[in-house]
Amino acid sequence: MISLNHYMFLSAILFCIGVFGVLTRRNAIGILISIELILNAANINLVAFQRYLGTPDGLGQIFALFVVAIAAAGSVVGLVLVIAIYRNGKNIFVDNFNLMKW
Amino acid sequence: MNELFFYFIALSACGFAFGAVTSRNIFHCAVWLAMALLSVAGIYLMLDALFLGVIQVLVYIGGIITLFIFAIKLTARIDDRSIRQTNEQVLISAIAVSILLIFLMLGIKLSSWAVFAQDHIFSLKQIGKSLLTTYVLPFEFISLILLAAMVGAIVIGKVKK
Repeated sequence: MISLNHYMFLSAILFCIGVFGVLTRRNAIGILISIELILNAANINLVAFQRYLGTPDGLGQIFALFVVAIAAAGSVVGLVLVIAIYRNGKNIFVDNFNLMKW
Repeated sequence: MNELFFYFIALSACGFAFGAVTSRNIFHCAVWLAMALLSVAGIYLMLDALFLGVIQVLVYIGGIITLFIFAIKLTARIDDRSIRQTNEQVLISAIAVSILLIFLMLGIKLSSWAVFAQDHIFSLKQIGKSLLTTYVLPFEFISLILLAAMVGAIVIGKVKK
């Protein structure tokens, strides 16, 4: 029988892979991809808690739905920012993003 | 049987996720991410969250991945294999992430949850009811956020004359 811990372990592993991607990627789009992984790890946790602990009014699943919506909005804005920066500098490597620094 | 299926999906999710963060070709990363998200949709189905599984496929794989691929193709030259895709912190990040993972695993192992005997399966009907009664305010706020993101994306992405 699969227990709650199984899902939490899976979520922890996915989260750590995502964090690793955020820390090591040079490419801004790669960082956004890793952030999507992190959000999915959080979602697995929410749904697993909903299933095993029974939150009131299905809070876990509803919250996961909201997370999906926010992730969509976030990645849209992030990708447009990447394209706007690329248009200015012909480059999307984050170690060259110093236009906000002085 | 169920357990075998879980391990299969979990392993594929982790493998695809690993490919998505380490692949050198950024276009391949997007495809790996799509596969990882599909595996996560399978996890949702195993948790009896049918609606969320469908939403995952529709919104993530149908919408967000397409957007990622468009962005990758619009920022040309970056899927060139000769360009380094990782920074100098790979080793130290790997160590830090392993430590984080160990702590998370320990935390999960040591904590106990009041798991009830029966499963709490939340049907599609209940989701609809819940969204439009108890959580109607956050639901409306989400639409506001999506509108703001859309307008913001158009404004930022517009070419200035």
